[in-house]
Amino acid sequence: MIRVNWKHLAIGLAILPFAAVFVAWIGFFNVGASTGHWKITEWFLHFAMRSAVRTYSLAVDAPETLPREGVQAAAGHYARGCAVCHGAPGERRSAAVREMLPQPPDLQEVLAGDKWNDAELFRIVKHGVRFTGMPAWPTQNRDDEVWAMVAFLRNLPGMDAGTYRDLAYGHDRRPDPTGFHDDFDAALADCARCHGEDGMGRGEAVPILSGQRVDYLFAALEAYAADTRASGVMQLAASETDPRLYRRLAEHYAEMPRTGTDRDDADAALAARGREIARRGIPERDVPACVTCHDRPDRNPVFPSLDGQKRYYLEEQLRLFAEDKRGGTPFRELMAKVAKGLEEADIEALAAYFSGRSDTRR
Amino acid sequence: MLTSSPFLAGCAGIQSALDPAGVEADAVAALFWVMVAGAAVIWLAVMGVLYYATRRDRVVHSETFAGRVILWAGAILPTLILTALLAYGLSMMPRLRPWDARAAEDAPLRIEVVGEQFWWRVTYHRDGMEPVVSANEIRMPVGERVTFTLRSADVIHAFWIPSLGGKMDMIPGRENTLTLEATKAGIYRGPCAEFCGSSHALMALAAVVMETGAFDEWLARQAEPSPGVGENEAGRAAFLANGCGACHAVAGTEANGTIGPDLSHLGSRVTLGAGIVENSKAGIGRFIAETDHVKPGVRMPAYRALPDEEIDAIAGWLKGLE
Repeated sequence: MIRVNWKHLAIGLAILPFAAVFVAWIGFFNVGASTGHWKITEWFLHFAMRSAVRTYSLAVDAPETLPREGVQAAAGHYARGCAVCHGAPGERRSAAVREMLPQPPDLQEVLAGDKWNDAELFRIVKHGVRFTGMPAWPTQNRDDEVWAMVAFLRNLPGMDAGTYRDLAYGHDRRPDPTGFHDDFDAALADCARCHGEDGMGRGEAVPILSGQRVDYLFAALEAYAADTRASGVMQLAASETDPRLYRRLAEHYAEMPRTGTDRDDADAALAARGREIARRGIPERDVPACVTCHDRPDRNPVFPSLDGQKRYYLEEQLRLFAEDKRGGTPFRELMAKVAKGLEEADIEALAAYFSGRSDTRR
Repeated sequence: MLTSSPFLAGCAGIQSALDPAGVEADAVAALFWVMVAGAAVIWLAVMGVLYYATRRDRVVHSETFAGRVILWAGAILPTLILTALLAYGLSMMPRLRPWDARAAEDAPLRIEVVGEQFWWRVTYHRDGMEPVVSANEIRMPVGERVTFTLRSADVIHAFWIPSLGGKMDMIPGRENTLTLEATKAGIYRGPCAEFCGSSHALMALAAVVMETGAFDEWLARQAEPSPGVGENEAGRAAFLANGCGACHAVAGTEANGTIGPDLSHLGSRVTLGAGIVENSKAGIGRFIAETDHVKPGVRMPAYRALPDEEIDAIAGWLKGLE
């Protein structure tokens, strides 16, 4: 009888990796999906996935109430990126998707219960799930977008087809939001799902494009496509549009009139403080006056107009700049430096001021 | 002498306490040489005693004699020498730093210097004139006592023009006063002498000592917009269109920013970027496009996104601001 001693153990351990590679190389292990997983494999994979999501979600700081401002944009993005696998109200998944292994869950069904809490959903949407085909959010810098998606997903169970179509398409027709657009009208229709046919933006998180400077809009599209401006929603939208259409799309929206922005709801004292910062800056914190760059009619054409822009959008962009997460046109460094000197109260004041300004100094 | 001259070459020049060009620097240099001579004498004496103590045919001294030697040479003599040096050093203080800081306010020429990461904000207060703002360079008349008020906007910096006088810290929340009197016209250099951040070594100022008449003429010109403001129209337009005026002021234009250095007369400054880049059109262009490479940690964003011709135009316009 052979006595197993430490020497045999060591030799066995040394051989083990080679044996593993050898077995894999022979190729007896069946990766075909035709037979599905064994019950125990399936149970184990699910167990490991659920546990990992639960554990990693402990580090996620979930807001008490989910932000509503970006729900419409999230719905628009859902129609492009998610519905094909996860289904949507009134839109059944294709038979092909239902044959996938693992099969992507029908979210209207899965989310009806309390299977996942908000933090866990955030974790899955932001990071995706390995070995399942579930991709991560296109950028890791836009938690605000991910939370908006979580907020949308929370509304998904029980949502009727009409409501979904209004959110995701802006009307009751079902265009095809997936795929590459090399036709101007189709691309424009795709933009309009979120930015509106009037370019005024649907929902607080979607910026007003009408009346914006053409060079800025063009540079923004290029930045999204080149991954130098972070947005899961827009990076996907830009890369699914023929770059040769960017200039025309930018011109289209730039030429539209910025219709009345009735935002007298802004706190007057807050807006007054914002006006002060916009005109004088905060020199002791290295914040220059906003108007030196954003107001001059003869300014660098890439510097955007802020007048009448959405308040929530402005706040969010300033926060992203301050955290070095926004990116943007080739001139993004300028704003990144400026925003670092702004405190939360300044950001709110500036957004209140610029959103309430009428569009006169484009 | 011949062999030591290569080593002494480093002692002359625009930034040397051993090549004084001011009353205070003279005193500091004199103090230095007195101390070098005294140290040499003491060193020779100590070596002599050492030789005496270690020679072969020793004489044995009494314990009382040894005690006396220790008392005189080890305690009384050093105390006397150090006391004399302290008295001499302290007697130089009032000139370098006035006892009464308020008197500084009334000085006929007061130059206010504020250290910022990584440049110097300079304001001239001349009797009977409005304050004149400049940056990264100080000019002063020869033979006139000039008062400096030294402050900091962020961290501790130190103001030191070795050729003209002693060094003094610039401390946040404090105002330090220093006076200097230059004796020789010329251009000197003052490095920041207290570590202040990543570009501390790239923070220096030029000190230009001028004849009195020339200085007053110069200051009067500084108080007015540069005639170059109206030239190079394209450069001025690009400067304003890209928001440079948000941080920089240029007299005679709408650019009135106070965050960065005043550029009203940039073209006539001795150096660029606080003593680190040659002040030429090419140097200005390089500073605009590669600010963060020229000066790591700088607060100005690099404008490398600007097309070359615009940078060129801006640089040409700024160089013309004399």
